[in-house]
Amino acid sequence: MNIQGWHEQLRRGALDLAILASVAPGPRYGLEIIRRLEDFTDLVVTEGTIYPILARLTREDLLAASWTTSESSHPRKYYRLTTQGRRALDDMIGDWHAFTGKIDRLIDASGRNDHGTR
Amino acid sequence: MELGEAGKSRVRGYLYVLERSLSSFLPRDVVADAVREIQTHIADRVGAVEGVPDERAALERILAELGPPLRVAQAYSAELTLDEAVTTGRIGPMARSIGHFAVNSVAGFFGALGLFLGYTAGVAFIAIAALKPIFPDNVGLLYRQGQLIGFGARFPVEAGQTIAGGYWVIPISIGIGLLVLVYTHKVARRWLAWFGERRQQRLRRNAVGS
Repeated sequence: MNIQGWHEQLRRGALDLAILASVAPGPRYGLEIIRRLEDFTDLVVTEGTIYPILARLTREDLLAASWTTSESSHPRKYYRLTTQGRRALDDMIGDWHAFTGKIDRLIDASGRNDHGTR
Repeated sequence: MELGEAGKSRVRGYLYVLERSLSSFLPRDVVADAVREIQTHIADRVGAVEGVPDERAALERILAELGPPLRVAQAYSAELTLDEAVTTGRIGPMARSIGHFAVNSVAGFFGALGLFLGYTAGVAFIAIAALKPIFPDNVGLLYRQGQLIGFGARFPVEAGQTIAGGYWVIPISIGIGLLVLVYTHKVARRWLAWFGERRQQRLRRNAVGS
C-alpha cells in the first residue's frame, strides 16, 4: 500500500473544510487564509492553487468575495462565509467529527492506539 | 522590500503568462479579477520581506511558493471552467474546457479529436438536410455503377455516379444529425467529468505537498 498517496488523499479531502474554517472567524483575504492554513495545519500549500479553490467556493455561494481598500494598504479581495457556507461548514464539521470518532473507536478496539508516534 | 526595475519586470512577466493562459478558457472579467488577486498576493509577499540583500532570490522564492503561472492557470481550469461545463453542459464552457485539455495533454488532444469528429459528423448530417432543397440532384445516396458508396453531397456528380433519394433525406438527416450531436455531447460531458477529476486529483496533490 502506498502510504504517501493515502496521506495526501486524506489531506486533499480536508482542503475545502480547512479553507472554510479559516474564513469562519471573519473576513480574510487570500494570503491571510493561506497563512492561517499554514499556522493551524500541516498542509504545505502551493499558494497559487488556493485561489482557484476560493473562486470555486465563491461560485458555489459558500463564500462571498469583495474588493476592499483600507487606508494603509492596496485593495485586497476579502472572503467571508455566506449563510449557505456557514451551514455547509457546520455539516462538514459534524461529518468530520462523526467520521474521526468512529475511526478512533475502531483504532482503540484494535489495540493499536499508539498515535503521536509519527 | 521595494522591488527594483528588474524585479518589477519579472513580476509583470509572471502575470502576463498567467493572464494569457487564463484567457484561453476563462471569461475576460474572471481573468482580470484572478490576475489582480495574484498581483495583490505578490505585492503583499514582497512587502512583508525585510532586510534581504538579494532581491532577486527573495522574489524567486515568493514566485516559486506561489507556483508556476501555468500550474496556477491549470488549477483555475480544473476548478472553474470544467465545473461549469460539466454541471451546465453549455456550449461555451464545454468548448473552452475541451480546447484547454486538447492543447495541454496528449490524452486530452486525442479525446478532443474524437469529440471533434463526433460533433462534425452531427453537423454534417444537418448540413445535408439543409443542402437537399437547394441542390436536390447533388444530395442523397451516392451510387457508383449501381453500388452504394456513400451518403451526402457531391459537387459535381462524376461520370458513372448517380444520386438517389428524395426529400425523405431531409428528416432522416436531421434525425441522425441530432442523435449524433446529442450523443456526442453526452459523451463529452462524461469525458470532461472523468478527465477533469483525474487532473483535479493531480493538481491537489501538487497543492498539498508531501
